[in-house]
Formats: sequence, structure tokens, C-alpha cells
Amino acid sequence: MNRVLTLAAYNIKLLLSERNWFFLIWALFALQITIFGSLMSRLVSGKVEDYLFFYSIGLMVITVFDSGASVGRNFVEHAHEGELPYYLSLPISRRGFLAAQALYGVADTMLKTLPPLLGILFFMGRLTVLGAFFAVLALLLLGLGISGIMISMSFIAFKSVDIYSAFIAGLSALLVRFSTVFYPLIFMPNFYSPISLLSPLTYGADLARWFLGFDPQLLLNPILAAAVVTAVAVGTLSLSARIVDRIIEGVKVG
Amino acid sequence: MAVLISLSVSDMLVTALVYRGLMNFDYFRFLVPGIVVAGLFSAATDTGRRIWLALREGVVQYYMTLPIRTSGLVVAYILSGGLGGIVYSSFLLVIALAVVPHQGIVNALLIIPFMFVLSTGIAGLSAFLASISRRGEIYWVYAQGLQVSMVTISTVFYPAQTIEGFLPGPVATIARYNPLSLAAGALRDSGFGGNPLDLSVLGTLLAASLPLAVSGALAYWVILRTIRLRGKP
Repeated sequence: MNRVLTLAAYNIKLLLSERNWFFLIWALFALQITIFGSLMSRLVSGKVEDYLFFYSIGLMVITVFDSGASVGRNFVEHAHEGELPYYLSLPISRRGFLAAQALYGVADTMLKTLPPLLGILFFMGRLTVLGAFFAVLALLLLGLGISGIMISMSFIAFKSVDIYSAFIAGLSALLVRFSTVFYPLIFMPNFYSPISLLSPLTYGADLARWFLGFDPQLLLNPILAAAVVTAVAVGTLSLSARIVDRIIEGVKVG
Repeated sequence: MAVLISLSVSDMLVTALVYRGLMNFDYFRFLVPGIVVAGLFSAATDTGRRIWLALREGVVQYYMTLPIRTSGLVVAYILSGGLGGIVYSSFLLVIALAVVPHQGIVNALLIIPFMFVLSTGIAGLSAFLASISRRGEIYWVYAQGLQVSMVTISTVFYPAQTIEGFLPGPVATIARYNPLSLAAGALRDSGFGGNPLDLSVLGTLLAASLPLAVSGALAYWVILRTIRLRGKP
């Protein structure tokens, strides 16, 4: 356990050395909310009560998604830059190595989302300790699920990084557009709403909104959402552990 | 390119379509021409990324050994950025014309050369930012800033009246005269709406785009000349 924590702490230290990026992400988030979010909420007004708040949480989910995806990308980059063989030579099991990656992902997600989330809740007058705690928990579970999906897909990158990047970008576009990140499910056309139910972002976004007190009539059943978010996190992390265990040997470097 | 196209097409066929159900006007018809212009912006700014990579990875040293003058190299980069933007946005325009009822296909075709100039202008601007990004990953900060300032503060996603009702006057004026707003407006009014082409809008589009292309070309030329003389940027 100590070794897992040491490796995770090393990765998190590297993450913290790039703190300027966090300020940039927070600043861009604030700009996106104050300009794009505010203007879109004026256009949407009437159909969705407090669309700015709805949009803010959606943007938060996008940040979690990016953070989860970056964990997968880091994993792939480590493999191709030759760092993976070094990590595998350390006296730590492969599951321990994956657990350290997951902890790194949790830290990355927390750093990117917690300050803006608390800021939004404070400025919108919706800040409660319980609401914020459970919303962060939902977002973290979602982030773990996304990391698991990305690492599970890394077997593609072991063949070709370009195909992996293109595949992940395409998958990301579909997961975001077909989810309830920016619009409630009941406003989606009938031919899109079944696809939306296949995106884990739909469940993560609606669950976080439910914890924060958004109108439940516009959201999915929170028990279903919590079950799916948990299942995706556990399922994809287990899958990634199996995949990595089997194919990690012989990864081409460079 | 395939990734960029999938992003833009999903914006058109999913995002725009769903938002139409949330608004009191035909937002699909409004947003689709905007996505064509936003796509042009994304493809043209790729020039900056390529220049930044060339400077960072030393590929530019190889380019300078080629039997081509520095000015030729600069013009080639800016033109390729312009062409990349126009090829990409033309593809999106074909899809847009297929999914949105239109009344001015000839006007849409006439706007394309002006969009090419806009694309070279954006390529020049991103080349300028790449050229002044000497340190680490600072180019990506500039690139994000460029995207926020040019795409978010424009009429690509929302009508000018909405911006005027919310943002301060000077910012609303910048949004109105933003070259992306001018191009999106021309496509909406003349390409899809069937109104005659507004030459003053197209003139303003040229006047706003050409200085960007020239300043980018100049900045890149200065960097290349410095590398030629000193061996490093």
C-alpha cells in the first residue's frame, strides 16, 4: 500500500508542478460561464428554469471528462515515451500501478473541479456542505469511469497512437453531444434520447445536478444514475486492470 | 481532419438540433452557418500549432535548408493555413446546404473567396502567436485565449441583439465587427437567407482579415530570419 501511495504521490507532485495550467483552466471555465453560459441562458430562458446553473454543472462534467481522458492519455504517452517499462520494473504489482494511476486521476479531477464548483455554488447561492460533498463524489466516480474507459482503450494505442487519438476524439465528441451535459433529456428528439442513455456522462451530470437541488423533473432517476455511475467506474477499472495485465508486455516504444 | 469534421457535424446535427427545441426561434438554422465559420477557425488555427511544433522540434532548421527563400516559406505556411480552412469549411458548407433549407446557393459560393481571405487572416494570427511563444507550452495559453476571444465573443452562437443586451457596449461592438461574426452573418443572410450580398460587410471582412494575415506573416518571417542569422529563435 505504501508503494502505491509513494508512486501516486510522485505523479501528483508532477501534476502540481504545472499549477499555472490549473489557473488557466479555472479562468477559461469562468469566462465560459460568464460569457457563453450567460448568453445561452438568455436564449433558453422559459424552457429550462435556471439554465445557467444547469449549464455550469454540465461544463463541470466536461472538465471531469477531460481530466479522466487526460489520465488515459498520460498512460499511453508514458508507454510510448518508454517510461512504462521503468514503472513496470519498480517493486510494485500491476494492479498497484493502476491504483496509483487512479489516485493520480482523482487528485487531477479534484484540483480541476473543486475550486470552480465551490465558486459557482457560492455565487449562485446553492452552496450546502452535503450537496457539494455528494456532487463531488458523483463527479469523482464519473471521472474514474472515464479514466477506466480511456485506459481500457489504450490497447489500441499500443498498436498506433494516431488511431487511438482519433478514436478517443471521435468517441469524446459522441459521448458529450449525445449526453445531457448541455440539455435535459426530455428536450432531446426521440431519435436521439435512446443514444443519450448509453453515455455515462448523462448519468453523472444528472446525478450531480440532483445532489445540488436542480428540478428533478428534468433529470433521470437519481438511484438509477448513481447505480450506473458506480457500475461504470467499477466495471471499466476492472476491465482496464485485466487488459493492462494481459497486453502491457511488448508495448512498442517511440 | 476526420476528427474535426466529426466534431463539427455532431455540433450541427445534434447540438443545434436539440437547442432548437429549447429556444423560441429556429436556432438550428441560425447555428449551422455559425458552425461552418467556427470550423474554418479551427482548421486555420492549426497553422499556429504546426509552426509552434516546427520551431520547438527543430523541423524549421530542415525547412531552411530547402532551396526556397524565407519569404516563400512564410507565404507557403500562411496560404496552406488559408487553404486548410477553406477546404474544411467548404466540406461543412456542403453538409450545411444539405440539411438547412437555403435560398442563395450562388451567394454562398461567392462568399467562399472572402472566407479564404478570412482563413489566411486567422492562420496569420495563429502564426503570430506561435512565433512569439518562445517558452514551454505558452502557445496553448495563447491558442485558448484566441479561441475564447474570437469564437465566444462573436455572433457565431448567439444573435447580436442578445450580446448587446448583456455585454458592455464596447465588447458588443467588438463582437459585431469580429471577422467571424461578419462571415457567419453573410452566410446566414445571403447564403441561406436569399438576401443580396452586402458588399460593405464583405469589404469589412477583407479589411479585418488582411492585416491579420500580414502581421502573422511578418512575425513568422522575423523569427525565421533570426534563426537564419543566429541559429536560434
